[in-house]
Amino acid sequence: MTTRDISHVALMAAVIVALGLVPAIPLAAGVPITLQSMGVMLAGLVLGPKRGAAAVLVVVALVALGLPVLSGGRGGLGVFVGPTAGFLLGWILAAFVAGFLAQVLEATEKSTLVRTVQLTAAAIVGGIVVLYACGILWLAFFVKLGLAKAFMVSIVFVPGDVAKAIAAALITVKVRQAVAIERK
Amino acid sequence: MIAGLARPGTSPLHRTAAGTKLAALAIAATTLFFVDDSRLLAVAGAVALALARSTGASFAEIGRDLKGPALVLAVLGLADWWLVDGATALVVVLRLGAIALLAHAVTATTTTAELSEVLERLFAPAERLGLLDAARAALTVTLAMRFVPLIAEEAREIREAQAARGLQGSVLALAVPLLVKVLVRAQDLADAIDARGFPPDRPTSDTEPKTNLRPGSP
Repeated sequence: MTTRDISHVALMAAVIVALGLVPAIPLAAGVPITLQSMGVMLAGLVLGPKRGAAAVLVVVALVALGLPVLSGGRGGLGVFVGPTAGFLLGWILAAFVAGFLAQVLEATEKSTLVRTVQLTAAAIVGGIVVLYACGILWLAFFVKLGLAKAFMVSIVFVPGDVAKAIAAALITVKVRQAVAIERK
Repeated sequence: MIAGLARPGTSPLHRTAAGTKLAALAIAATTLFFVDDSRLLAVAGAVALALARSTGASFAEIGRDLKGPALVLAVLGLADWWLVDGATALVVVLRLGAIALLAHAVTATTTTAELSEVLERLFAPAERLGLLDAARAALTVTLAMRFVPLIAEEAREIREAQAARGLQGSVLALAVPLLVKVLVRAQDLADAIDARGFPPDRPTSDTEPKTNLRPGSP
């Protein structure tokens, strides 16, 4: 990793943390919709698989250090055994998959619309399909909620996350037009 | 709340080793997650406030530093009160408030250089396994903490500039220029770090002079 890579990784980690400071919209049973998962998608889409995953890893390290970097000021090792631990650890894989698909799909020069659609697909597969698989499996087996119930409580968040995937794709296309960053 | 907040001082917390403070913070934050008694949490909150105050910061300064988290906490508390009940809201607000104050006390008394050294020591076992470069990993984490207030500051500037031009910013209208600007600043910072000769060369023999350069030193 060059120093620029380090700086980019640190910056996207900070973006994820900063998005957690944007006041959340509370939804069903006090579980808030936050913009933090959009930060995870952005990290993958903007930086690519390895550096995107590294950015999330930095956030996870900050959580482990006890800093209140997750939305709602959550942090500390308690998060790693809490009900949302699957989603937190799933973020790493989510950013990697979103970044990998972005790298593969957006290889050739095409219209802005086509690229936005491609990146949205990458963000949905990484940030929703892969992420929810991790989160739901954790809820089902470690929190002993059962697969069906875990699926039901998680699925409420899908519409919001689809909107975030579209926003992340739009932002990425525009940002990458202005700053040349190689995905890796 | 984090980063760029270190204040010079000579309080007991300032003199405590950074590693000790971080370990204590991690243990305290984890323990508080398993406490559901609002009376115990209120005691923890009072202790945390006393610790934050012991660093020499006035209540007004602490309040200013924690304005953002306090707002999030207020929204979360109201949501819990409305959707669940008052007792749950009290537990959540007290717990998260105490953790925020403890984290503030640690970051206010720990310089970036000290933090970087602790992280490097933490990452050393992984380096011996060939998983990562401890100095670079530590730099990444400390840079990330430094970037958070920078992003908030740039966001405020862009919003002000847009308001001055009579623009009503949508999320996209703010996010794109903000991300471009901070990415460029991150690149500039990386170039500056390179220019200062990071990472410092490791002494390969005892005769080689040791440098005082540490990642994150001013």
